[in-house]
Amino acid sequence: MTLKDIVNRFFLIEILKGMALTFKMMCTRAVTIQYPKQRRKIFPGFRGKHAFVRDAKTGKEKCIGCMKCANMCPAQCIYITKTKIENKMVVEKYDIEALRCIYCGYCVEVCPTCALVLTEAYEYSAYTKDEIYFNKAKLLQNWDDFASTYPADEYFNKFWRPDGIDTSKMVKAKKEQGPVPTRPVPQPAEPQPETPAEKPPEKPAEKTETKETE
Amino acid sequence: MAVIKDLKTKEITINMGPQHPATHGVLRLMLELDGETVVKCTPYIGYLHRGTEKLGENKTYATALPLTDRLDYVSSMSNNIGFCVAVEKLLSIKVPERAQYIRTIMAELTRIANHIVWIATHALDIGAMTVFLYSMRDREWILDLYEMTCGARLTVSYPRIGGVRCDVTREFMESCYQFTEEFPEKILQYETLIDKNRIWLQRTVGIGIISPEDAINWGLTGPTLRGSGVPYDVRKFAPYDAYDKVDFEVPIGKNCDVYDRYRCRMDEFRQSVKIIRQCLEKMPEGLVLAPEAPGYDMPAVPPKKPAAPPPKTAEGEAPPPPPPPPPPEETGPVFNELYVATEVPKGELGFYFISDGTGKPYRMRLRAPSFVHAGVLPKLCEGSLVADVIANIGTIDIVLGECDR
Ligand code: SF4
Ligand code: SF4
Repeated sequence: MTLKDIVNRFFLIEILKGMALTFKMMCTRAVTIQYPKQRRKIFPGFRGKHAFVRDAKTGKEKCIGCMKCANMCPAQCIYITKTKIENKMVVEKYDIEALRCIYCGYCVEVCPTCALVLTEAYEYSAYTKDEIYFNKAKLLQNWDDFASTYPADEYFNKFWRPDGIDTSKMVKAKKEQGPVPTRPVPQPAEPQPETPAEKPPEKPAEKTETKETE
Repeated sequence: MAVIKDLKTKEITINMGPQHPATHGVLRLMLELDGETVVKCTPYIGYLHRGTEKLGENKTYATALPLTDRLDYVSSMSNNIGFCVAVEKLLSIKVPERAQYIRTIMAELTRIANHIVWIATHALDIGAMTVFLYSMRDREWILDLYEMTCGARLTVSYPRIGGVRCDVTREFMESCYQFTEEFPEKILQYETLIDKNRIWLQRTVGIGIISPEDAINWGLTGPTLRGSGVPYDVRKFAPYDAYDKVDFEVPIGKNCDVYDRYRCRMDEFRQSVKIIRQCLEKMPEGLVLAPEAPGYDMPAVPPKKPAAPPPKTAEGEAPPPPPPPPPPEETGPVFNELYVATEVPKGELGFYFISDGTGKPYRMRLRAPSFVHAGVLPKLCEGSLVADVIANIGTIDIVLGECDR
């Protein structure tokens, strides 16, 4: 046993060192967040509550019922019913059973029209299952709720067109998808083609094109 | 005196778990005790069985990936990467270099996050509470880095077949670099608390000894094997992603006990920091997804070849020109069978696929390190004290989500 060991044995050096560290930590700033009062910063692209982007032009959702999301969803929790009205396929029902969703965000990425989004809202516990079973109206409502609290005037989900991925294979609407306005756009009595030019920050000009492609 | 002599003693059987905070999930150990000594130890697993392998056979390769998040939920990113590396080999996809570096960074961040959870719970089991608090504080940073990149903190699903889902941002790179600057100091803090602490030493030194031969025969991998002095690491022996382009060492122990396995993992912290730093410095520009990578909506059955037109060689008509060569096959797997291993923080995670040429695996088998490690518990525990069972469960670093699959 060396002298060092003996000194250590009698004076509990290593324990004192540990206690010195804990004492030092006591004097540093606390890292804990007092949750309901304080909230942590959410990073862009957070995968939270589902929503349907409300199209500024039509005031409705942009989904075209291509079934891509429903076919691919790993949790199989998207249910779509389509009907034929005047020779056109219309999405009759679009339901997301959020309780079964695993929040992978794949649906946001495959959607060719960028209709779907996982918003940054994460506090939506409920007492009944029905409240977390999102149908079309609820999904649009989710978007309104989210948009009204979103700090910026425009929102772009990074999974609509992820960085660093070759866009040449994407469909046109996806390629050209720009940020969507989060503030309600005053609906003109009759849509004038010149009107969009008067509101440069909203950039609805890009959105007009996105609607054209199927 | 007579009373003690007449005392009937017998072995008592107790259940440790499945709801025991120190069994790291729902592991149940049936212990036969002779006083304080463990005579027999039988692990029972399966309380968290979700049928991941079978589920994977009913999903396409692209959509089976989120299942791997739920295996070892402490290091989900590594599992994703392991799955992707295996499927890429099956489909012969070459991952762009930038994506390889990003994945390596992510895998090493995950290794740190996993070892942080390991040191936290292991120390807590043995009785050192402060380490738990400090290490959870540091893990938060890594989870923030995940969230910054892919929007989720735990079940990330960030890698995808052929690359990663999206590029990392400048903000991520800076924050990550900052992390590599500051984290070595944090490791020192953990070490100050327990490295030489006499209680820690008494609980770990000379406990749970397994010789190198036994360790190999029991199929141990990862730090659990390296603690016994066997320098086996998939990252070195069969490099994937960018591991062949970075320089790192594989720390090994020599006393084959709980303490040496602890030292191995502490050294791996430092090696991981080193790897991350190199990757950040060497990361090239470019795309992060291979052009031939399948989309999320990859077809479950290969696209049917257009049926040959009916031979309508009417009288007098010239014989039709020879049909054009079939269009190049979409990247679909051919009938194949392969096993690909990657080094996840807990050991060697292997994926064994049998593919029948469709978009779904015909058979998907997982070689989960936790499963193999749980099997060695009787070997480690028999003959030791009850209190050491806890140290032994901690040292093999199991997560029951992966063990039961
Ligand atoms: S996030 Fe994933 S699981 Fe949830 S609805 Fe979208 S695709 Fe399905
Ligand atoms: S992928 Fe998009 S457009 Fe297609 S059905 Fe789903 S939400 Fe609608």
